[in-house]
Amino acid sequence: MAVENKLPPVLDLIRGNIVKYGNPLALKGSEVAAWAKGLKLPKEGDVLFYTGGEYQLLPFIDSLVKTMTHIDQGSKSFSLMMGVRNILDKAGLNAEKIYASVLAKDRERFNSVCYKAAFVLQQLGYDLAYAGDEELYSGALLYELGFGEDLKEYAPKVRRMIEKTRAKTVVCLSPHAAEVLKLVYPKMLPGFSVEVRTFVELVWERRNKLPAISSPAVVIHDSCRLARELEVDEEIRDILTGTGVPVREAQRNRQWTTCCGGPGKLLFPELSHVMGSRRVAELEETGAETILTSCPYCLAALAGGQEKGDKTAVEDLIEFLFRGYAA
Amino acid sequence: MKSDLTKAFADYAKDLNQASRDENIQKAMSRAVKSYRATTDETMRRFPHTPELAAEVREIKTQAIQNNAALLREAMASVERNKGKAFYARDAEEALRLALEIIGRGKVVVKGKSMLGEELHLREYLEDHGNEVWETDLGEFILQLKKERPMHILSPAIHVPREQVADIFSKFFQKEVPPDIAAEVGAVREFLREKYFSADVGISGANVVAADTGAMVIIENEGNVRLSTGAPPVHLLMVGVEKIVPTFQEAMKVAEVTWRYAQYGVPGYVNIISGPSKTGDIEKVTTYGAHGPKEFYVIFVDNGRSLMAGDERFSQALHCLRCGGCMYECPVFQVTAGHFGHTYLGGIGAIWTAFVSGGLDVAAPLLYTCLRCGRCVERCPMRINVPGMVGELRKMLIYGESLPGEDLPEAAIAGGVGFEHAPV
Repeated sequence: MAVENKLPPVLDLIRGNIVKYGNPLALKGSEVAAWAKGLKLPKEGDVLFYTGGEYQLLPFIDSLVKTMTHIDQGSKSFSLMMGVRNILDKAGLNAEKIYASVLAKDRERFNSVCYKAAFVLQQLGYDLAYAGDEELYSGALLYELGFGEDLKEYAPKVRRMIEKTRAKTVVCLSPHAAEVLKLVYPKMLPGFSVEVRTFVELVWERRNKLPAISSPAVVIHDSCRLARELEVDEEIRDILTGTGVPVREAQRNRQWTTCCGGPGKLLFPELSHVMGSRRVAELEETGAETILTSCPYCLAALAGGQEKGDKTAVEDLIEFLFRGYAA
Repeated sequence: MKSDLTKAFADYAKDLNQASRDENIQKAMSRAVKSYRATTDETMRRFPHTPELAAEVREIKTQAIQNNAALLREAMASVERNKGKAFYARDAEEALRLALEIIGRGKVVVKGKSMLGEELHLREYLEDHGNEVWETDLGEFILQLKKERPMHILSPAIHVPREQVADIFSKFFQKEVPPDIAAEVGAVREFLREKYFSADVGISGANVVAADTGAMVIIENEGNVRLSTGAPPVHLLMVGVEKIVPTFQEAMKVAEVTWRYAQYGVPGYVNIISGPSKTGDIEKVTTYGAHGPKEFYVIFVDNGRSLMAGDERFSQALHCLRCGGCMYECPVFQVTAGHFGHTYLGGIGAIWTAFVSGGLDVAAPLLYTCLRCGRCVERCPMRINVPGMVGELRKMLIYGESLPGEDLPEAAIAGGVGFEHAPV
């Protein structure tokens, strides 16, 4: 007996955007690729630099969540809001425009993460290709939220995008993208054989070339996907220790890391915030001044979980390593 | 068929938010998590063979679930050979009907803690049919008086601080019970003592069942199960069919792993019950009901388990030993306790909710609360892939698929789908 379940509308919003626009929040390809303008990265090459648009969409997720926190998702006003969005879509406007003005500062920060990642890898001698405004989101959220059938239809598009670049290796900035490309795609797409690596792994291989960084102690927040599914944890420590940075360890780390609460953000934003704050507190117990992570959602969730006036900084490993070059 | 779940999500989110702001829950949970981790670390150091034993038990459970139909037949035969009476209940309704037939009406019943009992709403059912039923586990007793459901499978009243317990007890016992834990325990002890020895029936669950001998293994610390199953003239044991393993030796391995991951080096008591109490001391004539119960009944309950077993995506959920370790590691559970749950709690609870206790609709908000962070898998001695199963069930919700077996005609289910149950 087939049942039609009416689930919270935000799920279908995300699904629709991925399937229709190749991005969970309907960001345009040009917006997603804006960070790369000055770099003139070729569209073909052995190593494909893959952002999946994930860092770029962070400020918009927060803004969507802020809207949702004030509106009961089961309520009429929420469906009305979603309705308005759809009308705007038809008129050629999208969510991006609705939220754009609100968070220009964050937008700049998260966009620059991609630039910094490409810069660091280039400095380490990697020749990068980039799909530019043709880049598509990996579909990780389709997988995570249960839209497996939609992913089956969507994944071939991503595959074509990747194969068009003739890349042998895809380097993912987001561990969520790496997980889905490395562990889920091969099951869905026979013959999908591109090597999937994370930013951390590529840096680790050439860590001896990194410039020294002068910094007080840092603490690493291991991302769940990176530490558990992809088993990348010691590499981050090696990288930092190699650049002369003192690393403190949280009580719950590596495969025992505590989730930042990020995955709950769309449906249970308040609870997600509580979990983010608790994780920040666990990390701050170490006395480290900087919290480092290597995942866009952890970055946003932990930064959001900080108390007002909190003296610790939450940074992505990418931003931190870039500092070594800026100094 | 259409099913609007948006309101359920909204109500549930409110409940979770409220729980995460509840100071009692926060205080109790942070104490509990800290103590669980410290005790477990220490226990694992004392008994370093445990992880290896857990790996062995994983294999035992995997095989046992695959051969469950045969093991059930063997276990039932063993119980009968031991002069007990064995029954198989296909669903909750049948389990409750059988229990009521055994117990009757107007009886005094003492009951040990049992998740299956919660699943069946056993106490409420028996009370509605004219029986006086007492929860004898201290935590459950508190909740019985408080009219609340358990917030943790091992420490059901984990969220109730001593001051609140004192208030509840003072009202119930109609005398001043101070907010002193020893005094509180003493008050319950005095009250229940009398119940154990006046009760007509004692009810318990079991942690593991050995098919070869019909031995039922019940792990406990308080001693309430010893009294509940030893003092009354009738012992009714109700247990899920997934608890059966082939041999006594294997049952012991399962038991040790269960209590070790439930943070015990060794529990206060391990009860092994295989039949009614008997003696042959006078003229070698076997007589039943010496000091313990004269009658011993076992109801093996399916209630959706065979459907789970029959689907390779979900059968591993039946490996769960109910040690409760995953809950202490779950970031959601750490701030909401059992509010993240229905009868069964946490991520694994979402799977069980879908199959045996509520259905996919009720499980829906729980399935989306799970972060799929995977730390529960790190802790789980059976390494149950909860995030994977949560993903599968989300898919079913989204595409409107039914749970395995839901489409089957009644008759097919009655015959057992995953298991081939012979009617007994």
